[in-house]
Amino acid sequence: MAQPGNIELLTPDTRAEIDDWIAKYPSDQQQSAVMAALRIAQEQNEGYLTDALIGAIAAYLDMPTVAVYEVATFYSMYELNPVGRHKLSICTNISCMLRGSDEVVEHLEKRLGIKLGESTADGKFTLKEVECLGACVNAPMLQLGREYIENLTPETLDRLLDTLE
Amino acid sequence: MSAPNILKSLFLKELFAGLGVTGRYFFGKKFTVQYPDERAPLSPRFRGRHAQRRYPNGEERCIACKLCEVVCPALAITIESEQRDDGSRRTTRYDIDLSKCIFCGFCEEACPVDAIVETREYEYHGEVRSDLLMTKEQLLAAGDRLETQIEADREAQAQYR
Amino acid sequence: MVDIEINGVTIKAEEGAMVIEAADIAGITIPRFCYHKKLSIAANCRMCLVEVEKVGKPVPACATPVTGGMKVYTRSPKAIAAQRSVMEFLLINHPLDCPICDQGGECDLQEMAMGFGNDVSRYNEGKRVVRDRNIGPLIATDMTRCIHCTRCVRFGQEIAGMMELGAPGRGEHMRITTYLEDAVESELSGNVIDLCPVGALTSKPYRYTARPWELTAHHSVSPHDCVGANLRVDTRAHRVMRVVPRENEEVNETWLADRDRFSYTALYDKDRAMAPLIKRDGQWQETDWDTALTFAADGLKRIIARDGAANLGALAADWSTTEELYLLQKLMRKLGSSHIDHRVRQQDFSDQDAMPSFPWLGQSIASLGSLDAALLVGSNVRHEQPLLGQRLRQAALKGAKVSLINPMDYDFHFPVGEKLIDTPAGMLGQLAAVVSAAAEQKGATVEGLDALVTVDIEDRHRAIARSLIEAKNGTVLLGNISAYHPAAGALRQLGVQLADLSDVRIGFLAEGGNSVGAWLAGALPHRGTAGSEVDSGKDWRAMFESGLGGYLLLGLEPERDCIDPALATRALDAAEFVVALSAYDSPAMREYADAILPIALYLETSGTYVNGEGRWQSFAGCANPPGEARPAWKLLRVLGNLLDTEGFGYMGSDEVLAEVQGACRDVRPDNGRAWQAPTLGPAPTGIVRTTDFPIYAVDPMVRRAAPLQDTPLAGAAAVHACAETLADAGLSSAGRVRVSRGDSRTELPIVADERVPPGSVYIASGKRGSELLGGAFESIELTQA
Repeated sequence: MAQPGNIELLTPDTRAEIDDWIAKYPSDQQQSAVMAALRIAQEQNEGYLTDALIGAIAAYLDMPTVAVYEVATFYSMYELNPVGRHKLSICTNISCMLRGSDEVVEHLEKRLGIKLGESTADGKFTLKEVECLGACVNAPMLQLGREYIENLTPETLDRLLDTLE
Repeated sequence: MSAPNILKSLFLKELFAGLGVTGRYFFGKKFTVQYPDERAPLSPRFRGRHAQRRYPNGEERCIACKLCEVVCPALAITIESEQRDDGSRRTTRYDIDLSKCIFCGFCEEACPVDAIVETREYEYHGEVRSDLLMTKEQLLAAGDRLETQIEADREAQAQYR
Repeated sequence: MVDIEINGVTIKAEEGAMVIEAADIAGITIPRFCYHKKLSIAANCRMCLVEVEKVGKPVPACATPVTGGMKVYTRSPKAIAAQRSVMEFLLINHPLDCPICDQGGECDLQEMAMGFGNDVSRYNEGKRVVRDRNIGPLIATDMTRCIHCTRCVRFGQEIAGMMELGAPGRGEHMRITTYLEDAVESELSGNVIDLCPVGALTSKPYRYTARPWELTAHHSVSPHDCVGANLRVDTRAHRVMRVVPRENEEVNETWLADRDRFSYTALYDKDRAMAPLIKRDGQWQETDWDTALTFAADGLKRIIARDGAANLGALAADWSTTEELYLLQKLMRKLGSSHIDHRVRQQDFSDQDAMPSFPWLGQSIASLGSLDAALLVGSNVRHEQPLLGQRLRQAALKGAKVSLINPMDYDFHFPVGEKLIDTPAGMLGQLAAVVSAAAEQKGATVEGLDALVTVDIEDRHRAIARSLIEAKNGTVLLGNISAYHPAAGALRQLGVQLADLSDVRIGFLAEGGNSVGAWLAGALPHRGTAGSEVDSGKDWRAMFESGLGGYLLLGLEPERDCIDPALATRALDAAEFVVALSAYDSPAMREYADAILPIALYLETSGTYVNGEGRWQSFAGCANPPGEARPAWKLLRVLGNLLDTEGFGYMGSDEVLAEVQGACRDVRPDNGRAWQAPTLGPAPTGIVRTTDFPIYAVDPMVRRAAPLQDTPLAGAAAVHACAETLADAGLSSAGRVRVSRGDSRTELPIVADERVPPGSVYIASGKRGSELLGGAFESIELTQA
């Protein structure tokens, strides 16, 4: 049997924020807040979720652990492994691909010396391939943190990477 | 009785015709094979005594699917199976009762991994009934002994299978 | 009802039903994988696509409600093309390993591929591979074969009430798995084996041992609880290879508890007694049947000749068949002894004359699913009768308020209304408080009740009373712990009174698979067959306490089955002659027995079980008993003849059955009884031991079923206590503790467990470590080891 998750792993701030979300749903449907809870917990833990955190959220929302795990693995926004400080999520779907996302990926891989889905050894960058983010109008694009960077070319990429710490 | 028939029987026409055939073969080239000093040629499809094959790495092929057992019209095959320690499905017992077997070759046909085959061996005997029961060990030993021939025969027939 | 047309045939269908349900009733086959009549509709396999007139695209039959005048075509070119395409997609990632797959030969995917697939695959790319996880000793996984129908996930959520399997990942990366490396723990988990339409989830004990076409199907009935689940037993060469459910909507629906499904493995345990054993001059020797039976009969005759038949007692297991129990009591009564009992887990016989003709469930099993209120008294129903627990869960999910009075806060898989958790003695006060609240709400007075109400009547008690009074379809159920309770008579009296006051049904959850059959057959000291009047004999406790000279044991292992194993072994050791009709030979049994006569288990003999609702279910033997073992009814028949008693000339067990059934023809169960204020003995002081017989310790078979014993639900006994009890007793919350009661003592690990109320500790019975400890619901002493 899965050990019941330890909700102490969620900081008081995290719990308060999750409570805000729980309040937005009917009182007996707190599991609706699971996506928000996972996001908040991920922010608490340097951008990724651990098994213990997933267990903690399951306990906090009174859900089966495997159900929380399902959500965490379904959406590409949740990370289950440590990520770098800057997560570059590159869209490789059709619009971006037609507008040259392959070159973008190739350039980034060459410059950072890592493949898609990997992180640099200094923990600075993570490259991630994602599905369409709905910015086809300015393809190719990538998402950095909460920002969209569009109309990418190797030059704009280099400028972007130079500005990042 | 009609006239031609009376003439035929009077002059023993059929008798001489028959003797003619006898005479032709009597003086003609002989077909008889002087077994055991001589052997008749065998087809690659010959269905003789069974053998079980192995993969080149020494692993037995048989996976205990029991399709040969169920297809056998003479109920000559008995299989017991279990999970081997490495997790694979293997037989613990694989017996063919040659006194029941009718050498129809269905077991060969049914086998998904070419484990059970019929070889070119047809010279065997048993003094008691149990001598005609081939166990898994005997089948595998026969396979090891005859593998070169078995493989050559499969190769020759590959395009028809 | 609406009229719809399927393939040109007009059929009537329930309004709101799905097309596939209407088609199933009409006998029209629509292929499906994810649809199952007992589970919610997922419509994710798309195999059931059919054409509906005036609808542009093919629609899934399982998720399309019928409407009047609808025209459905299941075999039109469009439908066939859709089904064929779906099949091709499903097979893309399915491995071609049918020859080594246990599902091969009875696989839905194989059948559908034959019926709806193409001959040749057009897919030449690499196939997906999924890593397997070990999900416990019962279920083998080959997740590469999974087609993502999610039946197993839905089963966990909807039926078993424990979502242990999930479907993490997405798209091609989706897979079915438990969280991390957890073993599946539900007591109903084996059902996913049947549900899985492919070979992804298969039975681990059965793995690779047989193929479906080699198996011969037999019908049988499970002996492990009072549900009497219907079984299909598959044998090969007269050996049981596996057990699967036989659908019976009124009993087990399509489910089986793991206990019913996997206990067959104990048939081939190394402990099985293979030949008759007798003890001559202190030496055990194997012998033949003639010698053994004569030896047994002579020993019994010796005792009768010297001390009279009243010095002879018989004890039977409550999973023996009705025929065996009947013959045992007939033999004893013909010999002149009335000391017969099967209730070796009960302690209070003060009200045995007021009991109904058998411990009746009070209603049909099926009706439990539509209750709107229930009170469970002393019951861990989920582990005691897993399938009844499942029915109650269905009722609770539909809104029934199920409340509890328990000596321990057991885990339930459904929302529980009110929970009254108290020490064993306190349970009585809690129940009395509920009765009192009910009386108050009905404006009735119950004489002598106030003395029993030892707790303050709170809102919780009133809420339970109100839920029962307001219920249209309510029940009070007395579980196994209330039967084991030292004041069981008082609990029964109060339960009946509560049911009377609130006008709901009262039901007993009988302890054993055939407790009801034992009552009907007359394996009781105070009643004969069909409840007839007889000279009253001694119950099991009186037998053991007075120390009889000879005992006849039927299927019983008193050292683990009896609620007071210390007393039982002491009495049996002291007895002059003990004949054990037992399927298993154990060192403990060799200590006290003088003859061990190997008997056939339920899958090896013909017989009849009567389940909790009074349903007689007969079955024939499925496999040969091993070695020299023989059906117990035959042994009893021979013993009857050897002991010169009349009326043992049966040719078959059906003749015995006809005799019992004939006698029971007019038995009508009635759980009611007149109110009589129970008098209570002094409550135990100090720390009280709460106990039960855990799910995988209830009978000799289950205790020897290796796969079940490897599950997390089995395991050795421990002392469970809450922090408060531990602090009061000066014990640490880890380590080991010496437990003693009278002159029996043992040492067990401590487990801090807040489910146990203060003042009591929980120590399971019948488990490793607690075998010889008596004192159920009595005070015991604990000292730190």
